[in-house]
Amino acid sequence: MNNNPLSPHIQIYNWHISSLVSISHRITGVINILTLTLICFWIWALLFGNEGYDLIFKFFNSFLGKFFAIGFIWSYSFQILSEVRHWFWDLGYGFELNTTKITGALVIVGSVLITIFLYSIRGILI
Amino acid sequence: MIKATRKWILLKLSSLLMVPFMIWFLIKFVSVYDKDYQSVIEFFSNQSSAIIFSIFIIITFFHSALSISEIFEDYIDNEKTRKFANMMVYLSSLIIPAITIITLVKL
Repeated sequence: MNNNPLSPHIQIYNWHISSLVSISHRITGVINILTLTLICFWIWALLFGNEGYDLIFKFFNSFLGKFFAIGFIWSYSFQILSEVRHWFWDLGYGFELNTTKITGALVIVGSVLITIFLYSIRGILI
Repeated sequence: MIKATRKWILLKLSSLLMVPFMIWFLIKFVSVYDKDYQSVIEFFSNQSSAIIFSIFIIITFFHSALSISEIFEDYIDNEKTRKFANMMVYLSSLIIPAITIITLVKL
């Protein structure tokens, strides 16, 4: 039995913006692929015709459906901004302590702003 | 090239490809998700939407499978369990997009 500790020990560190964004990047990544799987199931359900779709239509227009949509927009927006932050790191930029705090805060605030913006203009898109 | 380097390069390349498609899908999803059956069918049966969505899910499931296997590396200690979990993720990242693309062709 290997008793070496597994990484990372997120429960013993003090929380900082960097660690919060880092673990949220992983969590939203997993949520996003699970959500995309549900969206694929949604597309499969289209094969069953108009009558079967009524239940899905009611769900998406319910409070829970709106929560799902808003959660999906936020989670995707967060992942996009966080991926861009990682690209800069890969190019060797943004490792200074203050810069990581600022870019981390930008990811959090930016994802919330994008969510509000996209949800409020969704009627005029397409 | 060692395996970990190749995996990192594939993760980065797929991330670069995936983000523009994520932005496209986010905008399309918010404008169609709560519409009626006919509007949703019209969107997904539109040839350009279907092609872009197909590319999007292929890249995203590929990128996610690689990322999730990294998470398994960190959190699953038992090698057999980790290999099984990886296999399940790789299999589903092939099967789910494949069935979805076939569905889009049939719509």
